[in-house]
Amino acid sequence: MLPAFALIRPRSLSEALSAISDDDVPYSGGTELLLAMRAGLQRPRALVDLKAVPELRRIALLDGGAEGTELRIGATTTHDELARDAVVRDSFPMLARVAAGVGNARVRAQGTVGGNLCFAEPRSDLVPALAALDASVVLIGPGGSRRVPVAEFILGMYWTVREPDELMVEVRVPVRPVRAHYVNLRITERPSVGVAIRVDADGRCRLVIGSVGEQPLVLDYDGIHEVDPDAVSAAVEPVPDLTGAEDYKRHLVAVMIRRAMAELETGKKQ
Amino acid sequence: MTSTDTAADGVASFPAAGERACTIQTTVNGVRVERALDPRMTLVEFLREDLELTGTKVSCGLQVCGVCTVLVDDQPVSSCTYLAADVDGRAVRTVEGLAREGALNGLQRSFAEEFALQCGFCTPGFLMMATALLERDPDPTEETIREYLDGNFCRCTGYQPIVAAVRRAAARKAGEAGGEPS
Repeated sequence: MLPAFALIRPRSLSEALSAISDDDVPYSGGTELLLAMRAGLQRPRALVDLKAVPELRRIALLDGGAEGTELRIGATTTHDELARDAVVRDSFPMLARVAAGVGNARVRAQGTVGGNLCFAEPRSDLVPALAALDASVVLIGPGGSRRVPVAEFILGMYWTVREPDELMVEVRVPVRPVRAHYVNLRITERPSVGVAIRVDADGRCRLVIGSVGEQPLVLDYDGIHEVDPDAVSAAVEPVPDLTGAEDYKRHLVAVMIRRAMAELETGKKQ
Repeated sequence: MTSTDTAADGVASFPAAGERACTIQTTVNGVRVERALDPRMTLVEFLREDLELTGTKVSCGLQVCGVCTVLVDDQPVSSCTYLAADVDGRAVRTVEGLAREGALNGLQRSFAEEFALQCGFCTPGFLMMATALLERDPDPTEETIREYLDGNFCRCTGYQPIVAAVRRAAARKAGEAGGEPS
């Protein structure tokens, strides 16, 4: 049985904002939070159910502005909705593929993009994929809203820059002509290592190593030829767990970087 | 609805105090259900203990094994880790809803014909996952079936007959649509 809690169901963003606090926590799919509560790791006074807040559940292209054209992904968008969205599939095929592979089909139907980011379980496919695409999150709180790059949003295991009185509204992904790819090694519901790579039209390149350390490792290069898989393998700080010891994960990182680069170049699964 | 505290600003709030603090309205296999329940009750507890629909089983309790799969608004969910309060206003389908007037549906018959079950404990979950798959993709490839069902565990069959059963169910449905006998 879960520990006792109250259930609050706001119908708008402002209602949701006034309902959350240190002990009254945002709740949507429950794929992370309910498990943590059952394990006794979290004991909130109330779950603030965000599923009926329309502002949080939409996917749309936003034109103009200083940031250029961006894809907005509402925080309570499920992985399945992201994977099946026509705009996402068309303009961000890597992101659609990543969302289609999260956990299992039930987790994808229940779990949300915002939940995955805010819970900050380090073994996430979405975090390195979004960081590689230079995505940001929009947080709103009593003092107004702020925008934080995904790469800076995650501070550590289960730890983000979000304050308890802030809500994640959406993720914004810039629309740019890039080539991007993601590979992972997954022997349980969560990846042991994930590698995302993005190459811009001018050849500049970003590499993100996810799931291995407490937070994703983000590396920017002037060109893909500068990527040295063995150097990155030496730079990561692996957290050993049941899916592998530190030296094994270092080995995997180099293998998966080479695989990601080869698949990006050839378009074929290695 | 007396136990539902609706504040002046219209936010529905269910207090933690009291065993049956929250009232829900839902349909389960097409039947309208209204119940007062504890907010922390999971969907599978509601189905098995309140409604006595014991077809849905529980195994891992971690959303990993798929045994407890039911459909909520046509989406597969792990009912072991899904609040019963969250089916308020939504439609639930369980394995009990598949057969019509005691006659197994095409998917269930396909499972029997392909020997896609042995002990049967995982079968309700596989049937509901396969139902969700066939509703979104009526003619799935073997690869699609394997991908979609990869979050469901069976420790008896070795999976091959389950994949074959889903293929058979898809073909049977296509045959029925084409007017051929199933």
